[in-house]
Amino acid sequence: MKKTGIVLIIIGVIVLGMIIWIKGMYNGMVDKQEEVESAWSQVENVYQRRADLIPNLVATVKGYATHEQETLTGVVNARAKATQITVDPKNITEESLAKYQAAQGELSQALGKLLAITENYPDLKANQNFSQLQAQLEGTENRITVERQKFNAVAKIYNTEIRQFPSNIFAGMFGFERKGYFEANAGANEAPKVEF
Amino acid sequence: MKFRMENKSFFLKSAIILFAFLFSNSIAYAEIVMPQDPPRLVNDFAGIFEPEKVVELEDSLVRFAKRTSNQITIVTVTSLDGMDKAQYAYEIGEKWGVGSKKLNNGIVILIKPKNDTNGEVFIATGYGLEGALPDAACNTIIENEMVPEFKNKDYYAGLTRALDVIMPIAAKEYTFEEYEDDDFMAGLLTIIIIIVIVIILSAIFSKGESDNGKNSGTIGGGGFFIGGGLGRSSGSSGFGGGSGGFGGFGGGSFGGGGAGGSW
Repeated sequence: MKKTGIVLIIIGVIVLGMIIWIKGMYNGMVDKQEEVESAWSQVENVYQRRADLIPNLVATVKGYATHEQETLTGVVNARAKATQITVDPKNITEESLAKYQAAQGELSQALGKLLAITENYPDLKANQNFSQLQAQLEGTENRITVERQKFNAVAKIYNTEIRQFPSNIFAGMFGFERKGYFEANAGANEAPKVEF
Repeated sequence: MKFRMENKSFFLKSAIILFAFLFSNSIAYAEIVMPQDPPRLVNDFAGIFEPEKVVELEDSLVRFAKRTSNQITIVTVTSLDGMDKAQYAYEIGEKWGVGSKKLNNGIVILIKPKNDTNGEVFIATGYGLEGALPDAACNTIIENEMVPEFKNKDYYAGLTRALDVIMPIAAKEYTFEEYEDDDFMAGLLTIIIIIVIVIILSAIFSKGESDNGKNSGTIGGGGFFIGGGLGRSSGSSGFGGGSGGFGGFGGGSFGGGGAGGSW
């Protein structure tokens, strides 16, 4: 009688200890997952910021560069495509992120082309409104770079955590999945450089 | 047996991932300059300012930081080590933690003087100041106030002209729209002119009065003016003596805001 009581108490203590231990590990993973999600929302914000600048930019360029309809249409179409593709922050997989990045990359390239042709229009370059838009666009590209770096950093921490022993056992059990990264794609996110 | 094997390769893999992470991290941030010890707001690593100007600048920036809690740091370097100026300035802001952690109200002004390569300047704003100082504002300030002076190698003049615009905006004393608005500047100028006229008129008036009365009145008046001037200058030098009271960077965060220019 006494023996079973002691055994039960010991088992109870062990179970309680395990629950506390798993709870700590689980909450740690949840915290890191939240960080990834909030970093992701920052990434989406800055891409949205860029998308918001484009109608104004296109309208300004249109007034000066009348023979560049094709390039302008390219930007408008790429923007429409890029804003359609969104990523569920709860489900940032390699594939969904790669798709998102490809669409945004296309928009970057279309924008790069547009900015390159503006070099041929001195009147446009002298336009105050245009130079302000250009500064805003450059700033937005910088923000995109920064927020992508920040996202990759927290995603890395999260991915390392869920793959490390012993949290990997519970990560699988509770459905914590690996998050994708932004790849440094050559040329796509580079603003065209103006050489003097 | 199988389990053990998997575990082993797993440990190895995670160790490699962790190592790669730490390593890549240290590579990415090894290139920017380190803050001085003790930290200072003016970091003239390129040596483009006179030593006494550095002290003056530090004083006014420390006073500004104490008054408004906004931290503006100046960093000059001879080379950007192949980095983009926006990235360089951002990393200084983020790694040094310029501005307070709560308000993220830091500004980094990075200047790379023209030497073998083009001169480069970047104003990076912390998250909390992106609204007050949008990128277009930073761009206009650089083009209007800094680059014209920097072209003549007068780095101090360009910097102080820019600070004269940035500081009141950051302190929310006026907005960038008001700075851009010529009417506002004209209004400000009118007020200054009126004040000057009033001072001159009152001086003439008091002189006329004292001519009617005693001669000693004029001397007394003059004495008062000199006294006022002295009092002010000693007051400001008193402030200067209190420098070094900069409490260190506050852990502010940056998101890539700001603008740059080159010449």
